[in-house]
Amino acid sequence: MTRVNVVLLLAVIASALYLVQVQYQSRRLISELERARAEGARLQTKQEQLQVERRAQATPQRVEGLARQQLAMRHASPAVTQYVAAPAGGMQ
Amino acid sequence: MACLALGFGVLAGRAAYIQVIGNDFFQKQGQVRFARTLEMPASRGRILDRNGLILASNVPARSIWAIPEDVDADKPSLRKLASLLEMSEEDLVRKLQDEDKSFVWIKRQVDESTAKQIDALGIKGIHQRSEYRRQYPEGEFAAHVVGFTDVEGKGIDGIEKAFDRELSGRAGSRRVIKDRLGRVVESVGDDVPPLDGRDIVLSLDSKTQFFAWQKLRDAVQTHGAKAGSVVVLDVASGEVLALANFPSYQPGRRQNLTGEQLRNRALTDTFEPGSTMKPFVVALALQKGLVRPETLIQTAPGRLTLGGATITDAHPQGVLTVNEIIQKSSNVGTVKIAMQMAPRDMWEFYSQVGFGQKPQVPFPGAVGGRLRPYKTWRPIEQATMSYGYGLSASLFQLARAYSVFARDGELMPVSLLRQADPVAGLRVISAQEAAATRKMLHMAAGPGGTAQKAQTIGYSVGGKTGTARKQEGKGYAAKKYRGFFVGMAPIENPRIVVAVMIDEPGNGKFYGGDVAAPVFSETVQHTLRLLGVQPDMAVKPQIVARSVEESF
Repeated sequence: MTRVNVVLLLAVIASALYLVQVQYQSRRLISELERARAEGARLQTKQEQLQVERRAQATPQRVEGLARQQLAMRHASPAVTQYVAAPAGGMQ
Repeated sequence: MACLALGFGVLAGRAAYIQVIGNDFFQKQGQVRFARTLEMPASRGRILDRNGLILASNVPARSIWAIPEDVDADKPSLRKLASLLEMSEEDLVRKLQDEDKSFVWIKRQVDESTAKQIDALGIKGIHQRSEYRRQYPEGEFAAHVVGFTDVEGKGIDGIEKAFDRELSGRAGSRRVIKDRLGRVVESVGDDVPPLDGRDIVLSLDSKTQFFAWQKLRDAVQTHGAKAGSVVVLDVASGEVLALANFPSYQPGRRQNLTGEQLRNRALTDTFEPGSTMKPFVVALALQKGLVRPETLIQTAPGRLTLGGATITDAHPQGVLTVNEIIQKSSNVGTVKIAMQMAPRDMWEFYSQVGFGQKPQVPFPGAVGGRLRPYKTWRPIEQATMSYGYGLSASLFQLARAYSVFARDGELMPVSLLRQADPVAGLRVISAQEAAATRKMLHMAAGPGGTAQKAQTIGYSVGGKTGTARKQEGKGYAAKKYRGFFVGMAPIENPRIVVAVMIDEPGNGKFYGGDVAAPVFSETVQHTLRLLGVQPDMAVKPQIVARSVEESF
């Protein structure tokens, strides 16, 4: 009888310690997960910001300004455009 | 031994008290100390143009706040802070003086690099909070359509306001337990995930929008005008490809978000459409079989008296065909055609093409203009209404009404959002009459017409000029005009309708054909090229193949 009790006691103690361990692990993992999530959100924000910045660098105004000033380009007019008819049955 | 037993007894009692009797109380205290409800903000949707280019998006920003009584800084570092925040030192000191408050915003939404420099100053009592700021990379070109938000991210104007609910999404929340260091260690209960705002895809084409805006700005500045608007509509889908106004504003700079330049004039300002109404009267007369395009009408001596009032032509003509009445924009001729019609028919037709009715676009402040019921029309009023006085409309309405001619007699529904498929219109006149009217509009933009400056290289155009004196109080203001032009291209099979309005041109020229038609011409030419429409007129090619001497 005593032996059974001792075994049970040990089992209870082991289980209790294991519970503490699992609880600790779970908290640690959750905290890690939380950090990863925050990092994800930060990167997402960063990506959005970079997209906006890229767009701001490529607005028609900027592109036109650069094309005109640095590359000495101008708008094409129909007079300097050659229209090529697509070959019949070629591209659809 | 007894002591030990007693000790254990006390411990057991205490444990029973905590775990069983007082459990609720302790649970609650624990919750109060460690459980937190985190709000999970939804990110606001972006606004994109038809090709997916960003017109409005979110970027992180930091807001600077202070606990006034904690701030204990020497003068130089305060001065540095003030200069970093672009505010005067007195303003800063005033904000910090209020010692009763435990929280004062110093400045909202400064950009990240400035925030870092402020952080580096290390002033005690100055704190930062992460926020999001709305950024508009296109700046002032698309400002009137896109609109802007307030500092809390709520839409105030334009699409930002009209679609505020879709853009905002819904904030979520989660209940968590935090440890001593503020780390989340456990989540309890159900999470409500945030619902991010939807992206709104507009029908605008960023390039067309920019180009139209730029040409409009140039014209407004050249002619010393007060303001101007331009609208470009896609005939097939009813989409608004460009809608620009000048003067405009930078939606990202919060300090100048007041005043006149905020108005989206193309939608909110109405004016008397003047001569641009004449094609409608003629189209209706053709439809009713009252006239044919070749019918001759006597307009000499350029004057017509009706009920005590006299209607005059600026340039008196003789006998004109109906075609020529539109081409030369004769008031007398138009009135003679209009007076053969019942007021009711005219009113019905005007209403059918959208005059006096609010356009079906989800836009704050869009107006419907004024069209009085036909029962109250006196003959002279019917006469003046035939050439566009005594009723009012916005430029947007006018552009849409012209789609009747461009779409072979169908009035198209307009949309500020991208449409996947061509839309069905509402038939108002037959295709034959629409084509006949288009021919007249083409003549108006051709030799002998009032709008020769609307011509483009390569594309045939058609349209009608209008010049209206501005109303001031009850009468008309002297020397204050609006010049406008509404037209379409290519004329045989129109792809776009473009309407241009220049408000109060001040440098001598004020006729629509002089101030607005050139903007139309350049916008049409550029837009059609962007759409890949092949020129329908013979163009003298200027392509010079430079032959290079071959070297051996």
